[in-house]
Amino acid sequence: MRAILVRRLMTALPTMAAVILLSFLLMRVAPGGPFDAERPLDPATRAALAHAYGLDRPLIEQLGRYLLGLAQGDFGPSLVYRDFSVGDLVRQGLPVSLTLGGLALAVALPLGIAAGALAAMRPGGWADRVLMLAATIATLLPSFVTGPLLVLAFALLLGWLPVSGWGGGDPRHLLLPVIALALPTAGAIARLARAGLATTLAQDHVRTARARGLSEGRILLRHALRPALVPVASYVGPAAAGLLTGAVVVETVFALPGLGRYFVQGALNRDYPLVLAVVILYAGLILLFNLIADLLYGWLDPRAAG
Amino acid sequence: MRPGVLPLAIVAGIALAAILGPLLLPWSYDAIDWSAVRAPPLSPGHLLGTDAVGRDLLARTLAGTRVTLAVAGAAAGVALAIGTLWGMIAGWCGGRIDEAMMRIVDALYALPFMFVVILLMVVFGRSIVLVFAGIGAVEWLTMARVVRGEVLRLRHRPFILAAEAAGAGTSAIMTRHLLPNLAGVAIAYLLLTVPQVVMVESFLSFLGLGVQEPMTSLGILVHDGAEDMDVAAATLLVPGAVLVTLLVALTRAGEALRDRLAP
Amino acid sequence: MIYAVDGLMATIGGQHILSGVSFSLDAGECVALVGASGSGKTTTAFAPFGLLPAMAGGSARLEGEELIGCSGTTLRGLRARAGFVFQQPATALAPHLTIGAQLAEAWRQTGAPRPTHEELVALLAEVGLDEPERLLAAYPHRLSGGQRQRAMIACAIAHRPALLVADEPTSALDAPLRAGIMRLFDRLRQTRGLALLLVSHDLPAVAGHATRALLLDNGHVVEAGDARTVLTYPVSREGRALVTAMPRLDEPLPPRPPIGAPLLEARGVSVDYALPGWRRRRLEAVKDADLRIAEGEAVALVGHSGSGKSTLARAIGRLGPQSGGSVHWRGAALPPRARMRTGHRRLIQPVFQDPAASLDPRWTVAEIVAEPLLRLRPELDARQRAEKVRTLLDEVGLASDFLDRRPATLSGGQAQRVAIARALAPEPELLLLDEATSALDVLIAGRILDLLLRLQRTRRLAMLFVTHDAAAARKLCHRTIAMEAGRIVER
Repeated sequence: MRAILVRRLMTALPTMAAVILLSFLLMRVAPGGPFDAERPLDPATRAALAHAYGLDRPLIEQLGRYLLGLAQGDFGPSLVYRDFSVGDLVRQGLPVSLTLGGLALAVALPLGIAAGALAAMRPGGWADRVLMLAATIATLLPSFVTGPLLVLAFALLLGWLPVSGWGGGDPRHLLLPVIALALPTAGAIARLARAGLATTLAQDHVRTARARGLSEGRILLRHALRPALVPVASYVGPAAAGLLTGAVVVETVFALPGLGRYFVQGALNRDYPLVLAVVILYAGLILLFNLIADLLYGWLDPRAAG
Repeated sequence: MRPGVLPLAIVAGIALAAILGPLLLPWSYDAIDWSAVRAPPLSPGHLLGTDAVGRDLLARTLAGTRVTLAVAGAAAGVALAIGTLWGMIAGWCGGRIDEAMMRIVDALYALPFMFVVILLMVVFGRSIVLVFAGIGAVEWLTMARVVRGEVLRLRHRPFILAAEAAGAGTSAIMTRHLLPNLAGVAIAYLLLTVPQVVMVESFLSFLGLGVQEPMTSLGILVHDGAEDMDVAAATLLVPGAVLVTLLVALTRAGEALRDRLAP
Repeated sequence: MIYAVDGLMATIGGQHILSGVSFSLDAGECVALVGASGSGKTTTAFAPFGLLPAMAGGSARLEGEELIGCSGTTLRGLRARAGFVFQQPATALAPHLTIGAQLAEAWRQTGAPRPTHEELVALLAEVGLDEPERLLAAYPHRLSGGQRQRAMIACAIAHRPALLVADEPTSALDAPLRAGIMRLFDRLRQTRGLALLLVSHDLPAVAGHATRALLLDNGHVVEAGDARTVLTYPVSREGRALVTAMPRLDEPLPPRPPIGAPLLEARGVSVDYALPGWRRRRLEAVKDADLRIAEGEAVALVGHSGSGKSTLARAIGRLGPQSGGSVHWRGAALPPRARMRTGHRRLIQPVFQDPAASLDPRWTVAEIVAEPLLRLRPELDARQRAEKVRTLLDEVGLASDFLDRRPATLSGGQAQRVAIARALAPEPELLLLDEATSALDVLIAGRILDLLLRLQRTRRLAMLFVTHDAAAARKLCHRTIAMEAGRIVER
């Protein structure tokens, strides 16, 4: 187990370093800058601005300062939201995005596993077919389509729920965004759980359990489910990536003050420090989730732990 | 009917309509009909109505589909080429080369690739070439893994050894035995890559980071439709429905093919 | 009477696969079900207990209670009263539960209270497993194949069943381990009065251990009675076919073809592999092996799985890695694998264990057999090649309507014949038979062995026969070389 973790960290840490280095360099060599926006600035103002943000220093010095800042949680000033530092935006937006993603995962995981288990009980039966078609469609439903559709149906036509906004974390405001975000993940988990269970239920050790006269429910829960969830566990990393990506759209659609929306604004306006911070932060989060997946993996299947 | 035939027919139908449709319609996708702004579906002259500035929705949807499919096809092609080559080399060479190559794939997998693509857009400006190159460069990872897995599965099969004993050299084994045996799986995953790319492209375009006006794509249309849905729901529903249908049909077709070829 | 089966029938998808099977088992007895694969022996054992997707008819009574036709819940309860041992110990134990947890579950299957630690330790000792502390806490993948099968048997007897059903319990194990498992069964029958229903194709083991034997063919019992008598003097045609197909260590040997000049000599061949991981530890699969084969001579290379016999054969045939030593052909050194040219490749041709996997699934039989002709015998034109392919197929006993078939449509025996035809195509002087009969059913393997015996005489072929079947080796070969842990230990 420890060997796996060490090996993972040996991949994860250089990856993280490479992400930071490459994205930083990319940002600095990029043609054009944030000051190219609406109207051209006169050279003097431009130079003054560049100086103020430290953009006129040698590249290596800029990188050094940036890394030093990162270590202290300082991502530099935002170029678009002039009155805020990137750190402020992260502190403000990240909790919103994580709440959204965490809730979506909390909904998707049990929903997906339950649907997958139900479908795997009778492979080829009608429940299997209906659930799996639904899961395929759910997996492929882009949240930028479901989001507006949900708003159209439940907010505009039925008027049950608010159209958009955070509402201070009011559950009524969160319901639609979480559904839009959770659906694709739930679909993917259902498909993985179904496949894993179908494979496991056909295995020899399940026949051994059956020979012991155990009930089908007990066989499913004790003998089949844990090994069958291995593919689901290895999906935890990609799921985290998917949820963070989806959150970008959902926050835009529902006008939520999350980090994803700042990121889109930053990307549209070439706010380098902001974009850079989000990429680094999210890369770190996804690597973390991959590590969690590895730990789960070892528990679900002792063979993987060596 | 064999599974996969219906989805494939749907994909072909949509693609055909997207290619031929614009030639047959009286309106081009960017022509403005001032006499019919936000016309509802089934209006005279506009089968599916018009958008907020009076552009024909059917023409725009077809044009958007065409752009989306073109980007997706090109990006999936890039993914197929890189992935197959990478996977074959890693699987065939084995040992340290394989380990190093697959570590790179693992590392790239762990990246928030959508954010990286956006980063690239921000840095190099938003161009359609970059959209598909960027997407293709990310989507090859799965292809590389699948192809490597197939090569590993096949290369220690006795029939490969038997071919060597029969005097076939490495290149002959690769082209005559290995490639034909993994082509089917690669094509199935190509079909499965296309919807992934469609998704990424529409995602970027929806955010305003992908295909740029005056060109249009399904993502842009959904975005515009969402802005306008309270007064003209069709502008959201039509491109949204086409997008989801396309995604589901492509995936079902790819999975049916993959399952049929599965060992 | 512990278990009585009367007029048992079984259908799968409306098709009859078993009819009128009857037998009975008393305490301490062992009844063996013997037959070729597909004869219905496993169905006979499992169908009454609802462990197969088959519909069972007739009657089967376990300790007086009828199994056939009772409800699912009742059947589950009855099933729990018997014990089951399966063929593959590697997969029959749950990978995610410790041996201790699985034993405890098995112990309680008929409602007994949770076993104490001492009880589990005693149970492991009873099936001949040492180190109970380690094993109870271990996951199955930490055990060796033999240990796993003993743990599986411990699970099967934990709840003190009267009947044990064992499906080919030894066929996945190496020979010495098999004998140990069979002796364990004998002991359990004596000490516990256990009735054993044994499914097996290991005829000598059945003759040595079973009380009675039933010979099945195509879903019917063709012979039944005292195990030794049935297997030694079968009266039915099917029985004789089955028994003669199995090479035996006690039958008289056929005369050997004469041996000519020295052909191949391997001197100090060693092979080592890099183990996965960055630390680059190496595994020595073959150490300093010497081997000589003469013209027309058949040499058997026997040993357990993992002894390095296949690795050595492949190194000699230039189809696998070699890290030290040299191989000479008629006195001249054979070039290394990467520099084998047509002239050398021609000389040595392989036949592998898994016939289905040794044919390219996308090629036709004609293309497969023609490949070595095309590359190793460039002097032939297309018409001559086609003609040659026909003759070769005829020689291995396949009609010309096989030409356009693809491997997926061939049976195991047919596929192996195609593989042999391909190996014969370039007119080799040495045939490498890498477990060439091991993956096949007894009857089919017997016929392939007969084909090889015929080729040995008609073509004056030298053979290196890698096998773990000493009896088959004895039938075909002039002498036997044994390998153990990468070294040649006996010649």
